[in-house]
Amino acid sequence: MTDIAKPTIDKRNRLSVIWIIPLVALALGLWMVVDKKMSEGPVIQVSFKTAEGIVAAKTKVKYLNVEVGQVEAISLNDSMDGVLASVRIDHDAKHLLYQDTQFWVVRARVGAGNISGLSTLLGGAYLELSPGQKKATHFEYVGLETPPLTPAGADGIKLNLYSEHAASVSTGDAVLYNGYKVGRVEGMGFDETQRLVHYDLFIDAPYDQLVNDSVRFWNVSGISVNASAGGIDIKTGSLDTILLGGVAFRLPDGAEAGAPVENGADFKLYDSYAALQEQPYEYSLEYVVQFSQSLRGLLPGAPVEYRGIPIGSVTRIMTTELLADPEEQRGAAIPVLIKIEPGRLGLADTLESVNLIKQSLTESVPQGLRASLETGSIITGSLFINIDYYDGVSSAELGEYDQYSLIPSVETGFARIEQQLSDFLTKVNALPIEQTMQNFDGMVTSMTELMESVDEFLNDRNTQNLSAEMTATLKDVRKILGGLSPDGQIFQSIEGSVSKINQTLYNLDELTRTLSDKPNALILPTNFPSDPLPGANH
Amino acid sequence: MSRVTAASKGLASCHLCQKVASVELDKCPRCGTALHSRKSNSLNRTLALLCTATILYIPANICPIMITDQLGSSIESTILGGVVLLIQMDSIPVAAIIFIASVMVPVGKLLSLFYLCWTVKFGSSVSSRQRTIAYRITELIGKWSMIDVFVVSILVALVQIGKVLVIRPGIASIAFAALVIVTMIAAEGFDPRLFWDKEEENHD
Repeated sequence: MTDIAKPTIDKRNRLSVIWIIPLVALALGLWMVVDKKMSEGPVIQVSFKTAEGIVAAKTKVKYLNVEVGQVEAISLNDSMDGVLASVRIDHDAKHLLYQDTQFWVVRARVGAGNISGLSTLLGGAYLELSPGQKKATHFEYVGLETPPLTPAGADGIKLNLYSEHAASVSTGDAVLYNGYKVGRVEGMGFDETQRLVHYDLFIDAPYDQLVNDSVRFWNVSGISVNASAGGIDIKTGSLDTILLGGVAFRLPDGAEAGAPVENGADFKLYDSYAALQEQPYEYSLEYVVQFSQSLRGLLPGAPVEYRGIPIGSVTRIMTTELLADPEEQRGAAIPVLIKIEPGRLGLADTLESVNLIKQSLTESVPQGLRASLETGSIITGSLFINIDYYDGVSSAELGEYDQYSLIPSVETGFARIEQQLSDFLTKVNALPIEQTMQNFDGMVTSMTELMESVDEFLNDRNTQNLSAEMTATLKDVRKILGGLSPDGQIFQSIEGSVSKINQTLYNLDELTRTLSDKPNALILPTNFPSDPLPGANH
Repeated sequence: MSRVTAASKGLASCHLCQKVASVELDKCPRCGTALHSRKSNSLNRTLALLCTATILYIPANICPIMITDQLGSSIESTILGGVVLLIQMDSIPVAAIIFIASVMVPVGKLLSLFYLCWTVKFGSSVSSRQRTIAYRITELIGKWSMIDVFVVSILVALVQIGKVLVIRPGIASIAFAALVIVTMIAAEGFDPRLFWDKEEENHD
């Protein structure tokens, strides 16, 4: 048994090729881990007011409906009044992160004008991002509560509107140009320092070209009903502006397109198109006019006219300045602030026109240009200020009042009539009416006497007999006229004489004709040719 | 005195036709297959595959094995997560099956094979017979780990209800399947005769 040789056992402890398998597995595993770590994008912090609909490790972040990240964790913020979502953005989407990148939660929303995010009813809410433009330095963002109406970086122009009170315009409303939607109201807010309501507008390209510094914006919300002598005028916008409100803009009538505006330009929002037409001008000059007479009926907004052409309006009666001035004496003239708008005179609504009007007024005042208070309507007693040239006024120059220029005034119009009437009545009062009345009384007495004499004369007997004598005379006259009738003797004899004269005149006529033909007929006999007979010569 | 073994006589059994022939022949005189006294390089091969399986075990448990897209939202479930979920749902028996098939069996198999390899190298107080039993059990239960992979593949095939409910396999299912296959090959490559070789070596 022992002669059988033992097999030689190779004791070499060499590394088998089979160990490549675990090494490959390890390498693969490590590579996967490294690749995953390398492909992970940055983690950003987005704060929201509430985590409604956001689930950690589940809620996705999408851009244009492409997944670009995921919410990793949600925690309350330090002050416990909001939530902080840690969001991991994919490696290949990290270039979407800018300083002004916007995040908001997409969930089902039902608004007055639209319903959105219905797909999230089944799939759950997700975060949507909209990349910005500024380079990011840190990755902390404040999430929006509502989706932005216009994606960041969209072509168009942003404008700011301001209004003195909140109109029925709200976020999402349409901006119309000639009734066509060219943009929308993106947001609104109240500036408590300026006490103005602000609206953020976005006008889509290419309609942003329609906006220039001459256009005017007005509120087209709802229905405007205007009853006047011309009938009832109802103005409405499109149906959705009736229901939801909106803003319209256009160039004022007759105005020329101005310079293009920059992003974020400010515009005033007029309450209505009518309000816009009343105040369509941006540039104006302010002057002060002082009046000693009563200003009852002169309201702010009352017209200022030059020979009937409206050139401006009354801004206000400067009572505060009047009271503040200690040098003003009792019964001093009341200053009225007026505004003259060059645009109303057909000039361009620019600063140059303002300077032109200013210069013209400065030159015109020494030539007799004065302001006066006139009655616009006798029924309502409303007043307006008229500016015109007056003769015989004492020479004056443009004065100063407070920081404004002062146009000298004259008393005209109703005030002057009042003065004249007063003078007239004084004169009437001074007339010798007593004496006149006495003379008149004496005259009436003489008249009465005269009338009595006439009456006596008529009642006299002779006067009454006069009628009978008159009748007798008329009878005689008729008798004479009766002899001259055709049946009368005189008439017949006159007729016989006249026919004899006619006979004589006929004969005489014959004689004169014969004599003119043959002047010797008185001596020689006459041969008259025989009457011609037709056809006798053949 | 040592027992008479084929190896001690310089004989080896052919792997294919089981003919006993002298190792020195190199090739089976009947079918021409290479003759080895023991499975060649058995210990190295088994250990290498065991290490691979251990590496695979990490993603198999960390990564999701199944992704459920339910109405647009997707839920990723890992093996242990699924077990915990089933326990929370009071499905203790199902949870037990999953736990045994997917956690206990692969882990036990890895540990037992590592132990057996270690004993082959450094010797053991446990008898060769008991270690052989342990090896047999390991080989037997190993394939049952695939139950998890089968469950996932059947679910993926069956549950495809458009957008309402879709089940997709996760990366862990591949890792887990690979793990099971690798451990099975490792168990196959292990030569339990090495137990006796070691014993005889010690006796000598």
